[in-house]
Amino acid sequence: MLGVENLSVAYGKVNVIKGVSFELRPSLVALIGPNGSGKTTLLKAIAGMVPYSGEVLIDGINLRRIRVDRRTEYVTYVPPTISALPDMTIGDLLLSDSSADVALLERYVRIFGVERLLFRRIWEVSSGELERALLARGLARRSKVLLVDEPLSYTDVRYQLVVMRCLRRLANEGRVVVVASNQLNPLLNYVDRVLALKDGKLFINAPLKTGVDEDKLSELYGVKMKVITIDNIVDVVPVEEARG
Amino acid sequence: MVLLIALLILALSFMAQLAFGAVMLNPLQVLRDGLREIFTATTGIARYRLERALAGVVVGASLALSGYLIQTTTRNPLGDPYLLGISSGALFAVVLTFALPASAITLFVVRPFAALIGGIIAYLLTLLIASKAGMTPTSIVLSGVAVGTFFYSASLFPQYFILRDIHKVFAWSMGSLVVVNLNKPIAIALVLTACTIYSCVSRNVLNALSISDDFVRDLGRDPSRERVILTAMAAVLASFCVAYFGVIGFVGLASPHFARRLLGSGDARYIIPLSLVFGASMLSLTDVVAKIVFYPIEVPVNVIVSLVGAPTLAAIMVGMRRHARG
Ligand SMILES: Nc1ncnc2c1ncn2[C@@H]1O[C@H](COP(=O)(O)OP(=O)(O)OP(=O)(O)O)[C@@H](O)[C@H]1O
Ligand SMILES: [Mg+2]
Repeated sequence: MLGVENLSVAYGKVNVIKGVSFELRPSLVALIGPNGSGKTTLLKAIAGMVPYSGEVLIDGINLRRIRVDRRTEYVTYVPPTISALPDMTIGDLLLSDSSADVALLERYVRIFGVERLLFRRIWEVSSGELERALLARGLARRSKVLLVDEPLSYTDVRYQLVVMRCLRRLANEGRVVVVASNQLNPLLNYVDRVLALKDGKLFINAPLKTGVDEDKLSELYGVKMKVITIDNIVDVVPVEEARG
Repeated sequence: MVLLIALLILALSFMAQLAFGAVMLNPLQVLRDGLREIFTATTGIARYRLERALAGVVVGASLALSGYLIQTTTRNPLGDPYLLGISSGALFAVVLTFALPASAITLFVVRPFAALIGGIIAYLLTLLIASKAGMTPTSIVLSGVAVGTFFYSASLFPQYFILRDIHKVFAWSMGSLVVVNLNKPIAIALVLTACTIYSCVSRNVLNALSISDDFVRDLGRDPSRERVILTAMAAVLASFCVAYFGVIGFVGLASPHFARRLLGSGDARYIIPLSLVFGASMLSLTDVVAKIVFYPIEVPVNVIVSLVGAPTLAAIMVGMRRHARG
């Protein structure tokens, strides 16, 4: 269980997350919203990586009361990429994490096709490859709450499906998994619930059935959106007004 | 494996340190006599050699660890122990001591102490400025450079007015392992041991710091706080070295790079021990060279270490690159 109560985050004087509250049972949840709406900030706050006001509860325990060295047992934030490129190999990156379960790490390394990259430097792999390595690292922790930031941005179509299937399985095993992304397909074909942020406020918090609503999504992104279904696969696409 | 070879090199350079000097001696003999002289509190050439050899090892290792910590915390491959303004702070303080009457106390007590304090004050100033600028890697590097430049220039004024002593200041700033007694290496060894243990315990934090601040936060730690602790250790190590043996460059910069290149890995777990051993061997070996190239004149080890070390580093970088391409 993940409970978020009246959570706010400010960078300097600018409020980025403005009093967000929700509660999630173990499930796979999509976190969507325009660029700058606060998805990354919200996830980092829940992981205790940025100062916040309000409360975050994991299985009823306040995040602030969890000892720092045990925090990874509760929550993990998986970043989409690394800004600095240190003189490290992908293998170093994966093993730099002492809270990882090595057997599990090996499994994810295989699942995400990272084996042949282990001895490459971080800057010697492609964006998608780095992203897959970061996912392997993050998922190999047995955290109760898994916050995955943009895992679909650099990965190719095949690995997008691999990622979503993995996350689906983790959710079925009882983890709370939140995925921040705007790749509505495949995202919406795997999740149980949709959260949407707009200007730092919770704009949609609904189960999949009601969450995928053309009017709501159009308002969220500021463009006309249409839900299409082909062979039971849902996609939401922008429809541009006919140009004159 | 690499560590084993490195240890072997260190052992050899240590032996060479004992063997070479004004006269060639059997290193094992020197070791035995040196230890006896130390325990019987007598002085002799063997004891002198042994102490100097030990100094080379601990100073080399300390500078290497210090350099590693700075490179990691500032995420700057050019990081070296003096990036925080320490050497200039120490230099400034040392220059001031030349105003004192030239007694043994000034020379052996006041001057090292002044250098230590000067180095640490410079570091604190760097830290203060960096903290106002968010304690990011860049802010530390920039404020370190600002503080360093300031103290360096400030040290030029008194030097200009006490021209008669300028060669002494110059000689001090060249760094040398001579004028040793056992207290100095022991003091440094104690600090080094404490810092090494802490670094090894914090290897996860060091790894995370070398990647990004978010990775540190992800471990539930505050990156700014860790950066302060780790740079403070680097500063204390470097200040002790500067205070006792003057400015010895390059070892701190190069040892971690040697380690990284040869391992092909940046994991703190392996880099820390290997850099320590490399630093110790590098300084020991070059001190041997310093003793013998222009025999019987001894060249300051600082000159040799850069003169020999820089091309070696360059060669290794180029060689590894070619190796990596296959
Ligand atoms: N470190 C920071 N300092 C100041 N402002 C920041 C910082 N990080 C993010 N912001 C601002 O906070 C707002 C929310 O950013 P955030 O990264 O959470 O958005 P996001 O929803 O993840 O966007 P994207 O879809 O582009 O990933 C943006 O307006 C951004 O400019
Ligand atoms: Mg984001």
